Amino acid sequence: MAPLPLPAGIEPEDREPSRAAPAPRVVPRTAARARAAPTPAEAAAELWAGMQLPGIAPAGALQRLARSALQYTPRVSLEPPDGLLLEVQGSLHLFAGVAGLRRVLAQECRRLGVTPVLAFAPTPLAALALARAGKTHAVLDAAQLVGQLATLPLATLRWPEEVLGRLARSGVRTIGAALRLPRGGFARRFGTAQLATLDALTGRTRDLRTALRARVRFRRRRELLCELESHQAILATLAPLMAELGAFLMQRQCGLLELECRLEHRHAPPTCCVLRLAAPLADARRLATLLGERLSALSLAEPVRGCELRTAALVPQRTDSLELWQPGEHGGALSSEASGLIERLRARLGEEAIHGLMLLEGHRPEKAWGKTAPPAGSGSGPAPHRSTSRCSPPVSRRPLWLLPAPRPLTVRDGLPRRRGPLRLGGEPERIETGWWDGEEIARDYYTATDSHGVLLWVFRERQAPHGWYLHGVFG
Amino acid sequence: MARYAELHCISNFTFLRGASHPHELVERADALGYTALALTDECSVAGAVRAHMAARNRRLKLIVGAEFRLSCGLKFAALAIDRGGYGRLCRLITRARRAAHKGQYSLTRADLETLPPQGCYLLWLPGPRIEAAEARWLTERFAGRLRIAVELLRDGEDGARLAELSALGAELGVALIASGDVHMHVRARRRLQDALTAVRLNLPVAQVGSRLHPNGERYLREPARLARLYPPRLLEAAAELADDCHFSLDELRYEYPREIVPPGETPAGYLRRLTEEGAARRWPDGIPASERTAIEHELALIGELGYEPYFLTVYDIVAFARSQGILCQGRGSAANSRVCYCLGVTSVDPQRGAALLFERFISRERNEPPDIDIDFEHERREEVLQYVYDKYGRERAALAATVIMYRPRSALRDLGKVFGLTPAQSGRLAAVMQWWDGSATIPERMREAGFDTDGSLLERLLPLAAELTAFPGFPRHLSQHVGGFVIAQGLLEELVPIENAAMPERTVVQWDKDDLNDLGLLKVDLLALGMLTALKRAFALVNAFRGTRHGLGELPAEDPRVYDMICRADTVGVFQIESRAQMAMLPRLKPRNYYDLVIEVAIVRPGPIQGEMVHPYLRRRAGAEPIDYPGEEVRAVLHRTLGVPLFQEQVMQIAIVAAGFTPGEADALRRAMGAWKRTGGLDPFRERLLKGMHDRGYSDEFAQRIYQQMMGFGDFGFPESHSLSFALLVYDSAWLKCHEPAAFACALLNSQPMGFYAPAQLVRDARAHGVEVRPVDACVSVWDSTLERRADGEPALRLGLNLVKSLSLAGALRLIEARTRRSFDGVPDLATRAGLDRKDLEALAAAGAFAHLSGNRHLAFWEVAGSERPLPLAPAAPAAAAEGRPLLTAPTEGEEIVADYAAIGLTLGRHPLALLRARLRAAALLPASELHAAGNGATVRTAGIVLMRQRPGTASGVTFLTLEDESGQVNVIVWERVGRAQRRALIEARLLEVHGELQHQDGVTHLIARRLIDRTALLGQLVTRSRDFH
Repeated sequence: MAPLPLPAGIEPEDREPSRAAPAPRVVPRTAARARAAPTPAEAAAELWAGMQLPGIAPAGALQRLARSALQYTPRVSLEPPDGLLLEVQGSLHLFAGVAGLRRVLAQECRRLGVTPVLAFAPTPLAALALARAGKTHAVLDAAQLVGQLATLPLATLRWPEEVLGRLARSGVRTIGAALRLPRGGFARRFGTAQLATLDALTGRTRDLRTALRARVRFRRRRELLCELESHQAILATLAPLMAELGAFLMQRQCGLLELECRLEHRHAPPTCCVLRLAAPLADARRLATLLGERLSALSLAEPVRGCELRTAALVPQRTDSLELWQPGEHGGALSSEASGLIERLRARLGEEAIHGLMLLEGHRPEKAWGKTAPPAGSGSGPAPHRSTSRCSPPVSRRPLWLLPAPRPLTVRDGLPRRRGPLRLGGEPERIETGWWDGEEIARDYYTATDSHGVLLWVFRERQAPHGWYLHGVFG
Repeated sequence: MARYAELHCISNFTFLRGASHPHELVERADALGYTALALTDECSVAGAVRAHMAARNRRLKLIVGAEFRLSCGLKFAALAIDRGGYGRLCRLITRARRAAHKGQYSLTRADLETLPPQGCYLLWLPGPRIEAAEARWLTERFAGRLRIAVELLRDGEDGARLAELSALGAELGVALIASGDVHMHVRARRRLQDALTAVRLNLPVAQVGSRLHPNGERYLREPARLARLYPPRLLEAAAELADDCHFSLDELRYEYPREIVPPGETPAGYLRRLTEEGAARRWPDGIPASERTAIEHELALIGELGYEPYFLTVYDIVAFARSQGILCQGRGSAANSRVCYCLGVTSVDPQRGAALLFERFISRERNEPPDIDIDFEHERREEVLQYVYDKYGRERAALAATVIMYRPRSALRDLGKVFGLTPAQSGRLAAVMQWWDGSATIPERMREAGFDTDGSLLERLLPLAAELTAFPGFPRHLSQHVGGFVIAQGLLEELVPIENAAMPERTVVQWDKDDLNDLGLLKVDLLALGMLTALKRAFALVNAFRGTRHGLGELPAEDPRVYDMICRADTVGVFQIESRAQMAMLPRLKPRNYYDLVIEVAIVRPGPIQGEMVHPYLRRRAGAEPIDYPGEEVRAVLHRTLGVPLFQEQVMQIAIVAAGFTPGEADALRRAMGAWKRTGGLDPFRERLLKGMHDRGYSDEFAQRIYQQMMGFGDFGFPESHSLSFALLVYDSAWLKCHEPAAFACALLNSQPMGFYAPAQLVRDARAHGVEVRPVDACVSVWDSTLERRADGEPALRLGLNLVKSLSLAGALRLIEARTRRSFDGVPDLATRAGLDRKDLEALAAAGAFAHLSGNRHLAFWEVAGSERPLPLAPAAPAAAAEGRPLLTAPTEGEEIVADYAAIGLTLGRHPLALLRARLRAAALLPASELHAAGNGATVRTAGIVLMRQRPGTASGVTFLTLEDESGQVNVIVWERVGRAQRRALIEARLLEVHGELQHQDGVTHLIARRLIDRTALLGQLVTRSRDFH
């Protein structure tokens, strides 16, 4: 019985690339970078709503607002960081005109917890300029537009400071004053780009806007016709989905960093198994192997009735299968091989069990190393920091095993004991430092041998009561 | 106990490494029983004199040396064995310092081979990894004088290190000595040392990591500790090496340059000849007998002490300046001698001045050179400096250094970085301290500045700040002295190392003026004085306009109209007496002659104020108090000042006549007065003085007052000998202001920056005195402001292009050149022919300089924006001509005023507050002019632009403000309590509203502030800036 794959789901997303995952270079056809402007014939009837968020809007508010604005019109255009444009002419009749639309938009804003200024005008720039000036006008008649714009400060057009400064010095501070200037002279002095803005503002030329574009994720669900318990069987069921994922990624030259596999049960809530990767991965076979590792560690509450694969945001993937040598074999990129190992260890032991180590600058032993994220598999990650200073003590004098915290030792006759008296070896190393962060130390470190012949690293506090502590064990 | 000498020790003159003062190191080493201490600052002997002075009366021997790190990494210290070795050391330091930028040095093995430090012991200072090759290289070259320094610092490897170095020493036949790489005198300075390291590396201390020292062992360790660490022979070897070094800085002998005497003449004979020639000029009708006696007395004393070359050196420099037409004038006690009067160093007629105490500066008992300061026109002093360099060569002449010490502000800024604060936070932290001191209030200020003050940061930071700012000041770097030149007969670099200053073509020695004084080296102060530049210009303007031949000291003397003006405190721009405090004093002191001016210059100073001498003097002058003298001997000293001591010299003379000091002791006292802040050295004199006066029957109260005044003079003493010279300039500048206000204002404008007032106030004042001031005009103005002849023959002041902000000199000169060929027919023509770039054109348009070419500023900017610099060989673009006239609004009056201030710093239109007057009136705020009419004690409200803020150290927390509105100025006094409560408004406001109580006294009006309100917002875009003094 062949399971029926569901169509790929495409969620609308903001177009702002997230930092962690740069936007894919390939976008789905359905959300192609379309010009929002219609043909000139339709244009005469355009009406734009400009929304201007207040300066202190919460982060992400604009994106949320933009997504929800898609309910009212398909033509939504972002003016980052704080402006939004909606072409609403076509939607007016659905909301009983401007007043009605204003009402529903205001409602929606309240729901999202933002309070933008909302203005309507026949050109997008004019709507935006009005909103930026704090005017809640609705200019419906193109003939009145220039008059309504005249008193707005030029600053609402957000021209470069330098241009605004030069205009101000000629006494030109409002849109009206700028529109009164001779066109040729204006363009020559303040730039053709600025003249073009003025033209777009007044509707003299078309203002072409980029519409909101969606972002893609892969999401496939498959219902099973029977309940499965065996990991092997589940894995086999997932195989076509994995193959599809592989094709999906390859078409888009994208890799993923996170793959979620949801296993659905009859009663119990779905079992979620999230695979996190050290480096973007697109290879379906490797993904399947990793997922298998991960699944084999899961205990299932109930048999599985359906399964679903979901990716988080995709990232562009560099193909590196062209390397002449296999990783690690003959000088091939060690880091690629390491990342494979790291992924497998993570898959087995869990996220937190794996971390990198680095040496830190400084004399305090407990601060001389730190945890770090494992090196990224791409090979471009930062190399672990190494202490390069001439002054740092030779590593040979430091034990490989350092206790998480020094452990007090008993003392008899002024000498430390651990399972019997310790034999102190050699001269002390004095360390006095760290006064600046409240964790100052002042200690004399010794190597010591216990009765079993184990070499220890111990210290004596320089401050009274001069306690002895065990701090490490030499390998 | 084993003997020990520390041979490797740096002080805080190894800037940002050493954490202890030289004197602390010396005192501690002595207390620990070391036999000797070598101060081996890194490529420097800058701290040596201080250490030497501290070691003078101690058992401890001070060795002068220096530490070096070659560019290859080899590190060693050189210790001077004898005078020759010291000279070699100085030359090596000079070589290394001159080869690098200011504050750095660069030395290679090759340098060491060409300039071997003979006469020095060399200590090889091996690094953490012992490079035997370094030792071999040194051994091959310096075998007998080389030692291996063994520094055991408890890093856990001491034993291995000692063994390795012992083996190496045995192999090479080089002896080992113990030393400690000392960075601080006690281990308690470890935190400070870490913090300094962080400052040096420009990192927060938490990020410095292993570049900090791992422990605090680099201090002067107790001999018992050392004995546990080192084999006894190494300790003894250090002490023996120290025994061999016998050089002392006391051996330095200074020789005056010889070429100042023409061939065939002796210095004495030449000085006498010049003096006689000068005397004949000064007294054409024959030298009065009293002057003849005085001259003979002076020449005899000069001869006895061998100071002829000093006077001749000064004469030579002054003669050069005269030959170049550079105005100059000497001051200082030696300068006011008859000899200097005859040599033309000063114009102070000794008879007109006072019988000065010649012994004061030339002391028979102490072999110290006299001190003469010469002021030059500030814009031409550099020519004089270069003359000195050229004449004596850079090997023989250099500027003295100034040691820049940590101030509270800089200490907090640096420490802020150490604790990882952002530059903005550090800045705020430092700004918190700007106007206020007194650590009690710091936490409060910190909270105000938005710092979490619960403590841990402060707890760690403040003690360090206290160490950095504690007496006698923690050195941060070396800078150049304003003008103190050291000139030597031999190679100066064998006397003291020379290094590069920040300014190109400047070199400084590593010692500051106090160090030079302590060792008795000759120094001539060649200083820059803005007023001399202004006077020179004013004379030139007047002489050109009127055909007169006025010159310095040649104006009609004792003109009553000049004194009338001075008594009205109408002295904006006049030398020395233009400050607010001086202006407040003038109507009370009412100067009527030259000597009154001498007193006026000296009386508004911390000395007389803290000694509470001002009011007694004023009362006696006004006849409100009888003039009496505490004793007959004192009458001779104090009769010039009505029985009240006002000058530094008088205090000294009293010490001689009333307390039994010898002239030499009095001179020591004078030096202590100047230096007591540095070394706290006035106390030893206190008892001596009080007892001496008590024994001679003077009241304890009088004695106390004299002592208080000495303390004050330490802060900022003003000696009569300087005041006498300054008063001449006061009179000349006042005369010009009184009779030639246009020329005077013009000269001041062209000599900016100088003086107390900004161009806006100078121009306002000139207009108030009836001077017509004409605006900057691209069709007329030249670079400087000039005088134009009006129809009535009187001068009008035309503002110059130099007032136009961001106009380049080259552009202005091209403009003037193009204009002389043919006048401009418009802005495009001007832009094309003068080849001005957009920046210059905009600067001129902003200044309103195109008024005649294009109309108002808006049109000017429109034209400028359309002017493109033509391509070479291309015809002027026709596009501009075809353009229509734009519809531009004219600027409003307010806009014009704002633009005026922004572009030239002043306006010829109305005062900005005139535009706000209606609103200010509505808020019941009075203009300055009406304020003066209100009665004494009246409660009033006013508002004005803050021109100045002053917080004199003598006024115990009082801030003086000067406000200005369209009708005049208001002087506001803000008591500490009021200022503290309303600190933000006091410090930040540019337009300030003040409510308070009026106080009229002796024709001076003050407003005692009760409430301060920041009204800056009313000014909008107007840019004003107050001059803050504190």
